[in-house]
Amino acid sequence: MSAVGGGPIVSVEHLTKVYRSRRRGETRAVDDVSFDVAPGEIVGLLGPNGAGKTTTIKCLCTLVTPTSGRMVIDGVDAVASPRAGIAKLAAVLEGNRNIYWRLTARENLEYFAALQGIARGTVTKLINDLIERFGLGEQRDAEARTLSRGMQQKLAVACAFVKQTPILLLDEPTLGLDVEISLELRGMLRSMAADAGRTILLSSHDMDVVQDVCERVIIINNGRIVTSDRIDNLLELFRVRAYRFAVQGKLGDDQQRVLSDAFDGIEIMQDGHLSTIDVELTDGARLYELIDLLRRGDNMIEWIDRRDPDLEEVFLRILRGEIRR
Amino acid sequence: MKTAVLYGASLRWRMLELRRYAFDTLSGVVSIYGFFVVIFFGARIFGGDRPGFGDTLEGVVVSYAVWALTMLALGSLTFELTQEAQQGTLEQLGMSPFGLAPVLVARALTSIVVYFGIWVALFVVMMATTGRWLNVDVVSTLPLVVVTVLGVLGLGFLLGGLAVVFKRIQQALQVWQILVIGLVVVPPDEVVVVKYLPLAWGTHLLRRVMVDDASIFDLSAGDLLFLVANSAFYFVGGIFVFKRFERAARERGLLGHY
Repeated sequence: MSAVGGGPIVSVEHLTKVYRSRRRGETRAVDDVSFDVAPGEIVGLLGPNGAGKTTTIKCLCTLVTPTSGRMVIDGVDAVASPRAGIAKLAAVLEGNRNIYWRLTARENLEYFAALQGIARGTVTKLINDLIERFGLGEQRDAEARTLSRGMQQKLAVACAFVKQTPILLLDEPTLGLDVEISLELRGMLRSMAADAGRTILLSSHDMDVVQDVCERVIIINNGRIVTSDRIDNLLELFRVRAYRFAVQGKLGDDQQRVLSDAFDGIEIMQDGHLSTIDVELTDGARLYELIDLLRRGDNMIEWIDRRDPDLEEVFLRILRGEIRR
Repeated sequence: MKTAVLYGASLRWRMLELRRYAFDTLSGVVSIYGFFVVIFFGARIFGGDRPGFGDTLEGVVVSYAVWALTMLALGSLTFELTQEAQQGTLEQLGMSPFGLAPVLVARALTSIVVYFGIWVALFVVMMATTGRWLNVDVVSTLPLVVVTVLGVLGLGFLLGGLAVVFKRIQQALQVWQILVIGLVVVPPDEVVVVKYLPLAWGTHLLRRVMVDDASIFDLSAGDLLFLVANSAFYFVGGIFVFKRFERAARERGLLGHY
């Protein structure tokens, strides 16, 4: 973990990438994006397809030259000095495709270390450690092509760690993995980040991965940042507003209409002898209004609960513009 | 020191790839040899017993050998670059702090070392097959071969640059293979313009050493300097053009895309 003067380890200011083509004209893939990442932080980059996540990550990796903007990586201006900037970070961009399939796990790790200028002799202990931590011990001398998809993916991440850079960029690190391997990889990322003090910027479609691994999330859509906040804060924001009521019996059509008229977005589900009502209240006082309406309809309230939203719900609502941060 | 690490790793990488793709390596060498047998014996049948044709046949051996080494060296650059883009590893090379071009230069130069070993063995087999033992004075031939192939590598980088931006350049590569045959066959002392192209002058000097039994010290300083200048021009020029293509690829977000 390193940063200059206690400031952010990654600082992106007004990053813009415009692709121009004769056929399609101008495409603004990343549009005036600014964010900071603190040393040791694990940040998730979320967004729908084509939102600009991968372009942002590739700009940071210097694989894509930004049209304008500034990127400071561990004190180095990566736009002015791309090579010095790239020395500060490692990335997994294509998952299991980022490794040499005819080389063994060990040979891959040695080669990727060498690409960073790290000699084989000086990195043996780290390679042995990574092989053990990533559960590749039995396959250390097997060609990567013979490994399972999950093992290959883990090897690709290990190859990024072997470069010993303070920052790690991971684009869809769990894509195509089954739940078990995904969970295993998430645990490894968390522990490796904590033990080695690495800063991780991770993009994923999988909300569970982001919620599980990241502390903060940056949501990006149409090339622009929609929100940037701690995951806890985003979840809390919805938690205090979302309620679930369980009511005995079925609600009549008239009563359903009254409730729908009074509360925007209310969802009523009838299931046998119980009706479930999901509602979000922008004003806490309206909780009593809803209770009154149900009481007037002679509905016995079984229980009221604050509904816990997951990150996926928060993400979708932010994208729909239902809430702005 | 870090550069030495890169070159060491590149050499090891090449050896491992050749070993792991043993069938591909072997079939490449066998087809180069098979093609040579067809050309050589075909030329002998059609050339018959005309006076002086023996020298031509020896010239064929030298030209073909240079062509074979050129193809091995070029293949390692251009075909692999396309392959790496397809695999997804090109992006990783592009993220090396050494820079993409220096990483590829290390790959190309270490490949020449490895392929030179294969080439020497192949060359001996060719001479044994034809019964024409040429002057293989290592002190004279080795520097000429290395400098000659460096010039060709420059063109390899040019093609590599095209591959990075345009991805599919198979047609251009096929044309290039035919052009290379022309460069090793056409005598630059007869068609002067060929002298200024890569490979031709080096092959011409190699013929003088290997067929005419000359030593490198028998060659004029002017001839040698011209070869060095010619190869340096194409090598440096090729890398320069490659970097321009690489920059364009980074600007257009094409590096690693296939």
